[in-house]
Amino acid sequence: MTATVTSPLVSDCIRALDVVVIGSPSGERVERFQGALARLGAPPARIVSYLDLLDGGPPPGLLRPGTLLRLESPDRDLELLRAFLALGVDLEDEEGEYARMTRKELEEAPLDPHRILCPRQWFLGYREALRRISRSFGEQARWMIPPGAVLEMSDKPLCHGLLRRYGIPVPRGLGVVRSYEELRERMRQTDTPRVFVKLAHGSSASGVVAYQTNGRSHRAVTTTEVARTPLGVSLYNTKRLRACREEREIATLIDELCRHRAHVEAWYPKAGFRCRTFDLRVLVIAGEARHVVVRTSRSPITNLHLADDRTVGRATLEELLPSWGQAAWEAARAGCERAMAVWPDALYAGFDLMVSSDRKGHALAEVNAFGDLLYGALHRGQDPYEAEVRAAVEREAAV
Amino acid sequence: MILTRIQAVFSESGHGSSTRSTQTLQVRRGSMAIYDHITEFMGQRVQDWEPGDPVADPEGTAYRLSVDWDEAEEGVEWTAKFAAFLDDPSSREVTGLVVGPWGQVATGEASSGPVVEAIAAARDRLPRLRSLFLGDITSEEAEISWIVQSDVSPTLAAYPELEHFGVRGGNSLAFGTVRHDRLRTLIIESGGLPREVVTAVLSAHLPELRHLELWLGDGEYGGDADVTDLQPLLSGEQFLRLEHLGLRDSEFSDEIAAALARSPLLDRLRVLDLSLGTLSDAGAQALLDCPAVRRLRKLDLHHHYCSEAMVARLEALPVEVNASDPQEPDEDDGDSYRYVAVSE
Repeated sequence: MTATVTSPLVSDCIRALDVVVIGSPSGERVERFQGALARLGAPPARIVSYLDLLDGGPPPGLLRPGTLLRLESPDRDLELLRAFLALGVDLEDEEGEYARMTRKELEEAPLDPHRILCPRQWFLGYREALRRISRSFGEQARWMIPPGAVLEMSDKPLCHGLLRRYGIPVPRGLGVVRSYEELRERMRQTDTPRVFVKLAHGSSASGVVAYQTNGRSHRAVTTTEVARTPLGVSLYNTKRLRACREEREIATLIDELCRHRAHVEAWYPKAGFRCRTFDLRVLVIAGEARHVVVRTSRSPITNLHLADDRTVGRATLEELLPSWGQAAWEAARAGCERAMAVWPDALYAGFDLMVSSDRKGHALAEVNAFGDLLYGALHRGQDPYEAEVRAAVEREAAV
Repeated sequence: MILTRIQAVFSESGHGSSTRSTQTLQVRRGSMAIYDHITEFMGQRVQDWEPGDPVADPEGTAYRLSVDWDEAEEGVEWTAKFAAFLDDPSSREVTGLVVGPWGQVATGEASSGPVVEAIAAARDRLPRLRSLFLGDITSEEAEISWIVQSDVSPTLAAYPELEHFGVRGGNSLAFGTVRHDRLRTLIIESGGLPREVVTAVLSAHLPELRHLELWLGDGEYGGDADVTDLQPLLSGEQFLRLEHLGLRDSEFSDEIAAALARSPLLDRLRVLDLSLGTLSDAGAQALLDCPAVRRLRKLDLHHHYCSEAMVARLEALPVEVNASDPQEPDEDDGDSYRYVAVSE
């Protein structure tokens, strides 16, 4: 492990660091971030909830000269979930009509963390929140990741299109579809028998369906379920992986996903490792790929949160390299770093990297603005948060 | 009393209406998909070959030719890539060939027919071919039961010196009448092997066969053979040189075990592989009660439904035993279900 040598200038900057985290004050991420600051010898960050910033500018005194702003994932904070949905109730959607909950339905809805509630409406609300925050903080605000970049990464169709335009390898896109029928037609037109259908604004494996058909047989693998309750039809993230072969049920699920905006990509055949599929989460910080976590699965979908840990697992890059090859890894790493350059003002991002079935190629599945919650991952002796903070300070010191 | 029935996880056949209610069921922990390309086949290292690559080690390396999705979209054909391979003078020395995806194998339209035809037609260009694996396709490329095979017997007929033949995919697979004086290894991997194929193979004239491996699979995916179809094999009258027998991924592993225990076939085997199937204590007991089992070198039973106590007894045999990956039957409404590992 290489010891990180800190110049006196950087040490001083760390001790004088002032970080404000905008997120969910009670969340695990904030706690871990504070731990990292403490280990670095930096003062604790000041934590502000998104909720406190929605109605006007930053509270007086929040921003000091040199304050570094960190946007954190609203994650599973149900109060924030409700707030963004509420903000999104009446907002215009330039992409068309997607499912909405009324204010009344929102108030009455029991907030089950497994229920997927109008993700497009949530995104409209979150986007509005970030726009207000960004405007009110002004041009001089120093963001670890600018709000605009966060929004682009959180919009799968937009992000996919951006990466493609910049020449970053991504699976072939089939665009946004509005129904199962349209999906089948698009698959026919493009000669694509196997696809991944994803919610445009879902987190990781939320609302992902690996679907294939040869015209006669159908198969959909997913952790997402449609349930009919007295409240109506709802989507749920379950912790169980299911395979469905009945077309009507698959159509119902996909129609429901489409109501919330669904983005479709060709199923990118991935390489295997020890009888499992895998992908890599690569955290790029200050233009350099740092922390790497290998996620394995006994199904086509990686990055799952399941109750059953025999289906998903972890491996290390070192274990993977002998069969993958150093050259192929370096090409993939460079690919992630090039993708990071699509957002030159963003200090870091998490990239979901897939390796092609012949192990020679790679493609990006997703970009994650909050992709740095990586348990146990160390790079040069630092966890992701330590590395980000140091990089932020070094970036400032270099200016 | 618990009714023990062997059933498919997925109850729709895709060929019309089902006799059982269609259900969405949990992906079982024990279900297995093939995610790795083979790295070794019959003692040879497998290596991808693309036009422009040298054929540097025809003795020790089996060359894999594939046409993946993107290439197929650009109009690349497997037969054209194969022709380019044959144009390299060094390919005359090649002893091992692996066929990976031959185009858009997931669409249900890309049959292996043209591949089989091309390989058969190349008999004079590959005079030293000894090993052939047809269908090194992972689940990420196509589900095993969605691979469209064809009548593969022309390849056997065209290469009388062939020693090792493997094929993956039971859908549309046929063998015709098989006579081959030199074949030592025959491996058929599938999620459901049709009875006709089982019958054709077990009545084939293969006097030199040392290694036979059949993945019998799931009735819902075409695996409609039963233990009576194995009779020509179990009688002991076939394949007098057989040393390694795999009757894998079977819905009737217990019955196979019981029949084998009564069969003279066991006397000549060194390796018995009943893995990936539904073996329970009943079948395991039959094996334990059979003296010939003790003379095996290796007994592979991984992915099974035996109790811990039974596993302990199996592992106490003076034989190399693999009894890993134990499964729990699914209990539903008083019924108990055991599943094969590879079906779809």
